This record gives sequence, C-alpha cells and structure tokens, in this order.
Amino acid sequence: MSAALERSRLEPVPRPEIERAPLDASRIGQIERPLSAAERLWNVQIVRNLSVLVMFVAAWEAYTRIAGVPALLFPTFTDTCVAIVEAFDDHRMLSKISFTLSSLLTGYAVGLLAAAVLVSLASIWRVWADILTTATAMFNPLPSIALLPLAMLWFGLGTFSLVFILIHAVLWAVALNTYVGFQGVSQTQRMVGWNYGLRGVIFAVKILIPAALATVLSGMKIGWAFAWRTLIGAELIFGATARGGGLGWHIFEHSELLNTSQVFAGLFIIIVIGVLVEYAIFRTLELRTVRRWGMQR
Amino acid sequence: MAERPAPLDRPEFERASVGKASTADVARPLSMAEQLANVDPVRKFTVLLGAIVVWELYTRLAKVPPLIFPTFQDTVVALWKGFTQYDLASQIWASMGILMAGYAIGIVIGAALSFIAVSSRFGSDVLGTLTSMLNPLPAVALLPLAMIWFGLGAKSLVFVLLHSIVWPVALNTHTGFMSVPEPLRMVGRNYGLRNIRYVAKLLVPAAFPSILAGLKLGWAFAWRTLIASELIFGAAAEGGGLGWFIFASRNEMDIPGAFAGLLTVILIGFLVENVIFRNVEQRTVVRWGMQS
Repeated sequence: MSAALERSRLEPVPRPEIERAPLDASRIGQIERPLSAAERLWNVQIVRNLSVLVMFVAAWEAYTRIAGVPALLFPTFTDTCVAIVEAFDDHRMLSKISFTLSSLLTGYAVGLLAAAVLVSLASIWRVWADILTTATAMFNPLPSIALLPLAMLWFGLGTFSLVFILIHAVLWAVALNTYVGFQGVSQTQRMVGWNYGLRGVIFAVKILIPAALATVLSGMKIGWAFAWRTLIGAELIFGATARGGGLGWHIFEHSELLNTSQVFAGLFIIIVIGVLVEYAIFRTLELRTVRRWGMQR
Repeated sequence: MAERPAPLDRPEFERASVGKASTADVARPLSMAEQLANVDPVRKFTVLLGAIVVWELYTRLAKVPPLIFPTFQDTVVALWKGFTQYDLASQIWASMGILMAGYAIGIVIGAALSFIAVSSRFGSDVLGTLTSMLNPLPAVALLPLAMIWFGLGAKSLVFVLLHSIVWPVALNTHTGFMSVPEPLRMVGRNYGLRNIRYVAKLLVPAAFPSILAGLKLGWAFAWRTLIASELIFGAAAEGGGLGWFIFASRNEMDIPGAFAGLLTVILIGFLVENVIFRNVEQRTVVRWGMQS
C-alpha cells in the first residue's frame, strides 16, 4: 500500500448512536389480500378460454338474430347446432368422416414411410442426398392439389388419386425437415453412437431420431397440416367434377343447395377434427417427448 | 494397504532410423472430376439434368401416350406456347396480384392481432382461442361460403387467402413474443421503451426467427390455398389464374399445357422459397447469429 494512498484516507467521523422504534404497521393497510373467488376463477386458463368462446357464440347469436341476417347467408348458432345433429341423423355424417379420415390416414402413413426411406438413403449415400435436396426444393413449393387434375387422369376418380396427392403433400415436408434435423445432430452425439458400436438402422433409431425429434415432429405437423388442407380442397374439387364422398364434399354439396347451416355444420366438424389432431395427438406427443426431454419449451 | 511392488529396471536402448515410410500417396491432389463433384451446385444440376434425361428417354422409348405423360420437349414447347399464345404471363400476374394483396393485408391483421395479444392477458386469451380453433380449419373449406358471401370475384379469393395467412402469422408471432427472454425485456424497459416502440425495437427483432417461420408457413398455406381455389373456381365458374390454367388445359386434354402450368407453379414456388425467403433469412436472422 503506498504512503500517498494511506494519507489520502479520511479519519472516520464518529456518528451518534441511534435507535428506531418500530413503525405503526396499521397505517400501511392491507399488505397481503387473499384473491376473491372471481379473481381466482379468472386466473384459470381454461375458464378464460371458455369464456372467450362463450362470448363469441353469444355475439354470433345476437348479431344474426338482432340484425336479422338471412339464414342463407349466415345461420344462427342454434340453427348450426340443429344442423350438426341433423347431419349425423340424415346425411350419414359418420360415413363421410370415416371416408375422409381413412384416405387421410392411408396417405399420411405411406407418405411418412416414403420419407423415411428417402431420408435413410440420403444419409447413407451422397448421391441420394443430392437427389433428395433437389427434389424437395422443387416439389415442396408445388401445391399438391395442382397435381389433382393429372392424378385424376392417371388413376381415375377413386380414392387412389386422393391418396397419391396426399402422399405428395406429406412426403416432401417430412423428408425435408427430417433430413435437415439429421444434419443438425451434433458430431459429439454421433460419436457417442459410434462408440457404442451402433450402425445403420439402429444408429438412426437410437441416436439420430431422438436427437432430431423436435425437427422431425415439426415436419410431421407441417405434413399433417398440408395433407389436411389438400384433402379438403381435393374433396371440394371432386365434389365439383364427380360424386365423391367426404367432408369437403358435404360442404360443397350443401353450399350448392344454399343449405348454409349444413355448410356451417361441416366446417364445425372439420374444426373439431383439426383441433383434436393438433392438440390431442401432436401436443401430447410433444409433451411426452421433446418437452419432457427438455429440447423444446 | 498392500505393499507396492518395486518398479522394474529396464535397460536403456536406442533405435536406428526406421527408414522412409513405404506408403505411397499420403496426400494426393484431387482430379478435376473429383473437384467438380465436390461443388454443390454442380451435383444438383447433374441430378436435375439426369431427371430430365430419364423423363425424356422414358416417355420416348416406352412410347407413353402424350395424353398420359408428355415428353420434356413437348412440355417446354407448351410452356413457350403458353407465354406466346395463351397469355400465361397475364394469368401469372392475376394469381400473384391477388396473392400479394391477400398476403399484405394478412400480415397487417396478424401483426395487429399479436400486438393486441401481447398488450393484455385477455387479448392473449382471445387470440389463443381464435388461433387454436381457426388455424386447423383449411382455408379452402371457407371458399364455398365466401362465394355465397362475396360472389365469384377476387374478393372471395382474398378473403380465403386472408384466413390462410392471418392465423399462422399471428400464432407464430405471438409464441415468438412470449418466448423473448426476460433479461431482454428488462433491457427494453430500462431504455424506457413503451407500447409500439417496445414491440418494434425489442420484441420484433428478438422474436424474428419465429416471426419469419410464421411468414414462411403463411406463404406456403396461401400459395396452396390460391392454387386450390383457382382450381375450384375453374370448376365452378370461368375464373383466371395459374390453377385455372392447369385445370383448363387438362380439361381440353392439352396435357403438355397442364405440365407447363405445373412447371410454372414449381418455378414461382422455388423462387419465393429459395430466393426471396432465403435472402431475407441471410440478411436478418443468420447475420444476427440467431439461426445458422
């Protein structure tokens, strides 16, 4: 310590000792107040979401009733509910739903399988990697519904054309995301796998897929979204050019008949199926895998 | 503790020179062909050329009727004819004009919705409920309704496009905003940023990867919806646009024309996804080091 610094320090000033009396707490008032029942209820997420939903339904019903909107343009909520019940009773809604879902599932499953094969080939040989990237760059931006007129020419008006374009919708989105995900798996994790002597399919199943699951899942979700949109669009077109079954056709048929409440019923069922798949299936899958493993928030 | 064995004494030794290694060619310069094959675009173009050659050969040698699968040459000729005779350029223009209008309005609405959602909890609930309900609803399904409400014009197309853009954009923007880390938010508040400036200067840049993903998804949905609705319009009325071009060519059994339309759709999609969006990504999130 230098002498200059030593000198520059001031002598401590002695201050008088003090003692504070405790403050009168009653002046401060309420510090902690239990939330009222209404506030606690309002803090529950589901209650808020439900009340938003109820509000929309009320606004819809009030608007259509008070403004006297013709039912041909915009049916009331009650009309729509009646139409949904009617759809199941009179319009064989269940068989339409199963028609739509069965072609969707077939297309989705085959598309996933094809994507798995392509990506496996691409991770083994560089030529296949080039083929895959070129093909996805070309076909991913091509709306698969644009292939429907050709598919109808090649395969006729049956389910096969539907499945063909569904495969096209699923395949590229899933293959692209899976391949990118595999590429992004860190070298360290790969080396751990090699160290364990994992090779080929086992290496992919035990190292690559878990490590890239977040991307793979998002690819599967996008593939589902494309397939779902393509299917409804395709059924609308089938409805226009041939007598197909399914939900899209239900909507098209009843809009031609100006039976708007049935159109709303069809839309409602499409929303319910979409919400179920996205939230019940994919959300659960995410919660049990990538979120639980801490890969995604 | 057991007694340690004493270290062994080993004799000192010296090795004579091992001599030059006999392995030839430790480092060999790559041949011209190998160097070329290592260039990415070269390989991709080769793949593309290979695909075209296979297509041409298959259709010529197997004598596939052109009504089922035209040759590459026919397709190119049809594409040329489309531009020179059938006014394909103005069809593209019609499609893209509507798409751009829908996209622009959709982004504005999506941004407004996410702004409302981020400024209050109730707004966030409203947006959350709306998007989770309406996002899984395919926009094309609304087309028959839109045709009843707005007639057969561009208005119903824009309405359907809006529906396909607003929800993915709003959903992704909102999740992006929600996952901006607290320290960043505090920095913003420290600088006294409020309301619009807080959103524009802090939340948007911080959540940009997610916003961009939403924009890309919105474009993908909008593009698919547009082609699908044009196909349906083509079926239900005399519309215009690229989807209609494909549908009309196919109905006239002008299959090379339909292939030419598909080729145009692929080209436009490729341009938007791999040139425009890639460029935006390079200039923003990649440059800022948020995404590789």
